[in-house]
Amino acid sequence: MTTAAAPNYTSLQRIKRRTFEIMEGEVPDKYSHFVEVFIALLVVANVIGIILESVPEIHEAFMHEFHAFDVFSVAVFSVEFVLRVWSYSEKYIHSGGTAWDGRKEYVFSFYGIIDFVSTVPFYLQLLMPGADLRVLRMFRLMRIFKLSRYNSAFEDMVAAVKAEKDSFSSAVFLLFISCLLFSSLIYIIEGHEQPEIFPSIPAAMHWFVITIVSGWGNVDPVTFLGSLLVILTQILSIALAAILTGVVATAYTAQVERRQALYEMEVRSALADGVVTDEEQAKLKMMQAKLGMSDEQVESIKHQMEEEKHISAANKQA
Amino acid sequence: MTTGFKSTLMEILDGSPKHTASRYVELAITLVVLVNCSAVILDSVPEVHAEFKDFFHELEFWSVMFFTVEYFARVWSLGAKYDRDNGGSWKGRFQYMFSPFGLVDFFATMPHYMHMFFPALDLRILRVLRLLRILKLSKYNTALQDLFHAIHSERQAFGSAVFLLTIATIVSASLMHFAEGHQQPQFFGTIPHSIYWSIVTITSGYGNVEPMTKAGEAIALITGFLGVCMAAIMTGIVASAFSNQVARKKAAFEAQLREVFSDGNMSEEEKETLKRLQAHYRLSDEQVEAMMLRAKNKSSANE
Repeated sequence: MTTAAAPNYTSLQRIKRRTFEIMEGEVPDKYSHFVEVFIALLVVANVIGIILESVPEIHEAFMHEFHAFDVFSVAVFSVEFVLRVWSYSEKYIHSGGTAWDGRKEYVFSFYGIIDFVSTVPFYLQLLMPGADLRVLRMFRLMRIFKLSRYNSAFEDMVAAVKAEKDSFSSAVFLLFISCLLFSSLIYIIEGHEQPEIFPSIPAAMHWFVITIVSGWGNVDPVTFLGSLLVILTQILSIALAAILTGVVATAYTAQVERRQALYEMEVRSALADGVVTDEEQAKLKMMQAKLGMSDEQVESIKHQMEEEKHISAANKQA
Repeated sequence: MTTGFKSTLMEILDGSPKHTASRYVELAITLVVLVNCSAVILDSVPEVHAEFKDFFHELEFWSVMFFTVEYFARVWSLGAKYDRDNGGSWKGRFQYMFSPFGLVDFFATMPHYMHMFFPALDLRILRVLRLLRILKLSKYNTALQDLFHAIHSERQAFGSAVFLLTIATIVSASLMHFAEGHQQPQFFGTIPHSIYWSIVTITSGYGNVEPMTKAGEAIALITGFLGVCMAAIMTGIVASAFSNQVARKKAAFEAQLREVFSDGNMSEEEKETLKRLQAHYRLSDEQVEAMMLRAKNKSSANE
């Protein structure tokens, strides 16, 4: 599609441009969709393979199949990685950057690192057959994160945390301070009574973290002050859960509103000239899918727009 | 004459506020369902079962009769929903029969006839199906419908949460398998085994298996913390989905109000419609009052 914009391309550059578009998946077309689905399915199959392979009976019965499948997957992922590195030179070439800007950005991005780390250790094993298999399997497991390229859940989460970073950091700060305070106190109060459980402040911190996470730190306090501290820690754990819930709910609502505002802007610009062309319609559809908005939300925004138009027309008449 | 009766029956069964009878029908069905559910619960206590066996049997028979009549009355009367030009009488009937409510009505009643013909059938299945009757209440309870609607409209967000949950489960389970698989093969010997552990830890908290290695300890703690986060995410989504839902309802009601006020005065019929809508959207009188005031002001400002 964009190839038309640069007619003086050589055929190799044209191929590169196409590869970039397909891999990046920004422009909707059926090849990029195919690549997306294929890689996603392969990743899911890989994860299922890793899970099944850990069962000794299954591993013994299908050892060769698993190996062949792994070789195939590594080959596909290697080709994917190389193609991405090669074609991402196109990313900034039209906005004044050099070929290596796009490549560098990809290689050092989250996905670039995941793509690399989940594939390359396989070759290391070929070179050094004695390496610890468990480490290798752990790297293979990283392939699961390739899926997040095709699902906005992770990005949404990061965006939400970023938008609410003040609340999050104050929650973390509170947790940190109370961890220091409470574990020191419990060490001072109960350290003499139960030296095997609270021999040091780090050990007491361990107790604190378990109590915060699970609500009960597996320790029966012996002293009165100790029981008081345990109860306070448990209340703190409930408070922490409440704070987290509140922050997430706020962040999520804010995000929904942000999306609606974005979409509304697009609808407004589409309606500005009075008619909605097919192209604009398609763009709106794509935007709706990308922002993950439901049909009801879109409907209510459109309704609101019509209402506004109505009112402004009435005002004009008046 | 039959068509008149048919559509009246349809409106009554649909709970239309036009007829006083619809309230009684609703009440009767709710009552029978509640009695049925209590019977299922009490019947499972051996002593009660021994003493009131015949009574429960009798009750079951008459309930099935009652629900059968209800089902056929619904199917028959819904023939009046669409007239001949709009798809004919079977369109409305099929629409009902294959709606969630229609399926619940069917499966909560009809399998009991199967039992009459095939007495060898597994009774446990029948009992489970009998419990389905409680879902019949959801027809009369907009709160449950609200919940389904809210979940449906936020399905994207729920999908994302489930995606995160799946990834968290698989990754923590696999890491635990790598870390503790040799030490505690009875819990972490295979990844499917550790997936079970990981789900338990995420849903009900850290602590069901004591990790033996430092790495295992760290993974277990992080998994427990992820469980707390997951609960927070789910709660957050549901809370904001609910409040979005309420906002949407208010907007719909307000639009209706504006429509009513657009011609300046409110007719008796319009008043009736608004009342029904208010009940449907479960808005309080104060909210409606405030909205009406706003709509009135707006319409007078426009003039």
